[in-house]
Amino acid sequence: MSTFLQLFLRSIETGAVYALATLGIIVVFRTNLVINFAQGVMGMFGTYVITVLFVRRGLPIVAAIALGLVICVGIGFLVDFFIIRRTKKVDGSGKEIITLGLMMVFVGITPMLFGVDPLKLPKVIETGSFTLGGANLSYNSLLNIIIGLGLTTGLFLLLQKTKLGLAIRSTASNERTARLMGVPTKNITLFAWALAMVLGALAGSMIAPSTSVTVNVMDSVQVNAFIACVLGGFQTFYGPVIGAYIIAVLTNLFSYYISSVWGTQLLYLLIIVFLCIRPVGLIGKKTIKKV
Amino acid sequence: MKKEQSIGMKIWTNHYFRFVLFGLMLSMLVPAVSGGILKTSFLGIVGGTIIFTIAALGLNILLGYSGLISLGTAGFMGLGAYISAYVTGDMGLPWEVGILAAVLIPTAIGILVGLASLRMSGLYLGIVTLCISEIFRKTFDELDVITGGFSGKSANYPTLLGMIDLNQKQTYILLVVVLVLVMMLTYNIVHGQMGRAMHVMRGSQVAAQAMGVNILKYRLIAFALSTGYASLAGALYVHFIKFVYPSTWTLMISLTILAIIVIGGLRSIYGTFLGALVVYAMPDLVLKRIPVLGDINGLPYVFSGVLIILIILFYPKGVVNVFSDLKRLFAKLTASKSSAAKDEVPNDVG
Repeated sequence: MSTFLQLFLRSIETGAVYALATLGIIVVFRTNLVINFAQGVMGMFGTYVITVLFVRRGLPIVAAIALGLVICVGIGFLVDFFIIRRTKKVDGSGKEIITLGLMMVFVGITPMLFGVDPLKLPKVIETGSFTLGGANLSYNSLLNIIIGLGLTTGLFLLLQKTKLGLAIRSTASNERTARLMGVPTKNITLFAWALAMVLGALAGSMIAPSTSVTVNVMDSVQVNAFIACVLGGFQTFYGPVIGAYIIAVLTNLFSYYISSVWGTQLLYLLIIVFLCIRPVGLIGKKTIKKV
Repeated sequence: MKKEQSIGMKIWTNHYFRFVLFGLMLSMLVPAVSGGILKTSFLGIVGGTIIFTIAALGLNILLGYSGLISLGTAGFMGLGAYISAYVTGDMGLPWEVGILAAVLIPTAIGILVGLASLRMSGLYLGIVTLCISEIFRKTFDELDVITGGFSGKSANYPTLLGMIDLNQKQTYILLVVVLVLVMMLTYNIVHGQMGRAMHVMRGSQVAAQAMGVNILKYRLIAFALSTGYASLAGALYVHFIKFVYPSTWTLMISLTILAIIVIGGLRSIYGTFLGALVVYAMPDLVLKRIPVLGDINGLPYVFSGVLIILIILFYPKGVVNVFSDLKRLFAKLTASKSSAAKDEVPNDVG
């Protein structure tokens, strides 16, 4: 039982990382109608900014993260202002290809700015742990779990209860009508890209201490986040987050109880089978296309 | 114009002739390299472009004609590469058997994906194919008996008919021959009854069904073709580059192939090659020649990224249209010159 609890808690920590990255993808998708393939590398870039502020500028870790996130907001604004805003007339897969271009720019610019050597980002809370029902949990993991759950809950409250949330939801449901109703949709997309960048950077700096900061730090997170989006369904904001936590928990359970080699593949296969049965995800509505 | 065409004109407008001519033009690279006019590295770059073109042609049938998306191209390319390397290397079978196995096995899996795709559409399908690609990639990592794991797997240049050992230049010629054949096949498919059925299917599934188009059949064919092309490209890759790593076949490659067809122009065969040239070869061909800039780490990525963004923003219909647009511009220029009335020619290439 304690092994299970240990696994479960660790999964919730990984789930927090996936959930933040997934939220970044879904917020951009709902407001811009584009799958942002650059979400992973945007998070990677943000993580690099934070790490460099900590390692080379010698800021305390919390200050480095805070300042890094502010810079991320700026980068998100720039991305939307200079590129995404001009893609209104691009149709079909063109927008997705733009995000691929964005991805390449970030991947290329990272070694130019920060060098090619992998960097090390420490945990926010370096030491200390406690026992919970036989399971061992470090304070840093607890912090990550709280950040994950807190941020997702906070964002849902923002979406459901505030005026900004209403504006985002109306933009998501119909951008044109929202604009006619006086919603400043341009500012909404600006906000969405900044939010995606911040969420990516947070996810990156949560996962970075367990590995090292390289260009590929977010690759697997990004793939899992995409799969979480289809598992949960693209139509809601909360579905993909649930999907992210499910994937995180099942990945750990499968690789522990079934096979550490084949667990992930089996899980992905099961997700495909599930999607064959429910093609719009866990919480999704079928959109009816007219002839 | 009902004017009788001369025989020369007939040959000139024949599409097969043009494909062969195109192939001959590409083969000219070998004497150019042997003669020392161009560097040997050009062979690798253009060869890579050809391999990417083959994979992208398959995706073009799937996305351009049938309107179905796949982000799993990289996985199937990798699968083809590993199967061919295993069959020719570890099992010691001839190259022809290797390439046949490397195309048939992934195609069978592709048909299964087609079956699954019947219930999905749009981005759900895209991410499910990405999921399949990731399953392959993780398997390449783990199944080191066959794939060599993280350290990769090597292969040799092909040996034709069990006796003719090819070197790099001859393998390049082989790539060109395969490309020309694939282009002809694609041309025949998309201009036949199958191509028309796929056109209707892309427009509206319900309308296509009402016209008697069997959706199941054509979806399966489209998926079989695209995975077949991708795995053929992968099998050629492993015998041309002579090495394959699991970390090659990521989402980035699938997206690059998607970018190739969107930038080159959907539903265009030559456009696909142009797109591959722009996306894959341009950074190497242009940047590496510039002395100081060529050494900066990561600059090729930034270069292609910016290029992709700019082309999509300002030339969204694909670079293949650049020729017809230039022709129109030229016609406009000469027309205005002869009339000598307009002083300003609108020059809207963008």
